[in-house]
Amino acid sequence: MADRVIFVGILVLAGVYFWATSQIPTLEIGDPLGPKAFPRLLGIGLLISAAMLFAEMVKAKKGGPEAEPEAAEPQDTSTYKVVAGVVVVTGIFFALFEPLGYAISTSLFLMVMTLYFNKGKRWTNIITSVVYGFASYYIFTAALGVNLPRGVLPF
Amino acid sequence: METLTHIFNGFAVCLQPINLWYTFIGVFMGTIIGVLPGIGPSAGIALLIPVTFGMNPTSALIMMCGIYYGTKYGGSTTAILIRTPGEAASVMTSIDGYEMARKGRAGAALAVSAIGSFIAGTLGVIGLTIFAVPLASMALKFGPAEYFTLMLFAMTAVSTLTGKSPAKGVLATILGLMIATIGIDLQSGQARFTMGVAEFQDGVGFVVVVVGLFAVAEVFRGLEDIYKGTSAQAMKISGSLWLTKEEWLRSIGPIWRGGVIGFIIGVLPGAGGTIASIMSYTTEKRLSKNPDEFGKGAIEGVAGPEAANNSDTAGAMVPLLTLGIPGGGATAVLMGAFIMYGIQPGPLLFQNRPDLVWGLIDSMYIGNVMLLILNLPLIGIFVQLLKIPSGILYPLIIAISVIGAYAINGSMTDLYLILIFGVIGYVFDKVDIPVAPLVLSLVLGGMMEQSFRQAMTISGGSPKIFFSSAITMTLVVMSVISVLMPFILPKLKKYKEDGKDE
Repeated sequence: MADRVIFVGILVLAGVYFWATSQIPTLEIGDPLGPKAFPRLLGIGLLISAAMLFAEMVKAKKGGPEAEPEAAEPQDTSTYKVVAGVVVVTGIFFALFEPLGYAISTSLFLMVMTLYFNKGKRWTNIITSVVYGFASYYIFTAALGVNLPRGVLPF
Repeated sequence: METLTHIFNGFAVCLQPINLWYTFIGVFMGTIIGVLPGIGPSAGIALLIPVTFGMNPTSALIMMCGIYYGTKYGGSTTAILIRTPGEAASVMTSIDGYEMARKGRAGAALAVSAIGSFIAGTLGVIGLTIFAVPLASMALKFGPAEYFTLMLFAMTAVSTLTGKSPAKGVLATILGLMIATIGIDLQSGQARFTMGVAEFQDGVGFVVVVVGLFAVAEVFRGLEDIYKGTSAQAMKISGSLWLTKEEWLRSIGPIWRGGVIGFIIGVLPGAGGTIASIMSYTTEKRLSKNPDEFGKGAIEGVAGPEAANNSDTAGAMVPLLTLGIPGGGATAVLMGAFIMYGIQPGPLLFQNRPDLVWGLIDSMYIGNVMLLILNLPLIGIFVQLLKIPSGILYPLIIAISVIGAYAINGSMTDLYLILIFGVIGYVFDKVDIPVAPLVLSLVLGGMMEQSFRQAMTISGGSPKIFFSSAITMTLVVMSVISVLMPFILPKLKKYKEDGKDE
């Protein structure tokens, strides 16, 4: 099933990529190939991978049930919801990264994540999150000269 | 003769206190990264690139290579004590190593992996020292057509040898090359595929891709495991950290054989440490008088694979340093680090910067000694790391990734990109699309296009140039064979899978 989606995905991507390649403006001066030739080759490469995938799908079907034991395995969809949740929380963290500053946004992000994934140790989680957020801010900006957003903090 | 002088001068470079210090930092961090499941050498090196910017390149590269070979030492500890490879290549160690630990011989398992790693690692560096100069001088004769076909071979070998499906490996390779075409084309000055995002004019940074695919995606998988409740507990180190005479006698053969297998696999593009350790394991099982013992705590099953995956790292440095072409994911990231420091690895480097090349190679001898000390008498310290609850560890890895990604340009686009590539890496893992070929082709993409266009300019637009010399012909034929091999040689694949099932 997943392979069929990938197969269609490759074809769509190849179409979009060929179109995008044709949109690159060219000035043929001194460079016989220009900026389009290599991308065209890659588009063909995509089609080759699609053909290979098709051959593998046919082979797997011929191989019968023993070739596809994974399909029978039921996948609990709630794990995907958790991963989706993590992605959303991380997205919010990034959105607040510059407005709030590195130290505060990182501490908040770590608190939310550890309180959910390391249950039962509330104070350890909160203290670790805050100490890490501020200590790493200090170490990276002061000691290593890395530029991190200050945000609302005065220092 | 001149080479010998360079080798000795290399020791003068790497024995400078500052470089000894960075060797130590590198192998120390490598051990930590190896012990911690969820973060591997690729992500570790990529995260350090922005932070170490402005450092002396020799010291920085010595440190990053230290991380690369150091992770293999650390990875075995986790494999033995919690049956989870701390690093992908130690997957075979988790079979017999964990069984040994269950039988109260964790100390011996840790000792044999550290000693085996040291012997084979040093053997590998000796091989690197011997083969570097002849290969580099051969590569000096390479023109753009030779380089293009060499990269083609490296990519096809990696795409068909990593992962279960060659088609998906090829797909990953092409995707990496496509990402590499984003940005201003250096020859025509034309912007390509920027999708209207101003930041994309400079291209998509390889650090953000690597951090996303290797660190962030791994965090998603790890958090998923916590939610499912499948994270494991660490065993205590039991038994003395030394080998009995009998254990030693049983281990020495596998260590030598594993060392040779690992080095050869390492030099060849594509296969890498995991396959090297699987091959060593199956070899030892075949040679053993008691093959039934394998899987139930046979020390040979720890000694051989651990030796193999350590000499593999030294072997993998051979094509990276001499040809300037990495043969796998982690060395591709190392190559990215070289380029970030303005250093192009390859044959010219041996002529122009012998101090750097040999300082780096010689530092690997010293790094292996340091690793033996860190991973044998001092291993108890690193085992404490396994007590960090993964519910805290994984969120911390995201926080560290954020610093690395933001530090490159101070750009929010890079932050969102690591999230996007994290999701891509997570999905790719679910549908068996390997990410190592993508990283390799992303790093090589610019060079590959450049050598393609140079070759075509030389030939006046005729693709015949790629079939004009014996070298290019051989490489083209080998590329075609490596793509077709999975179809014409299903037996070989079966052999590989048999190894995995055991």
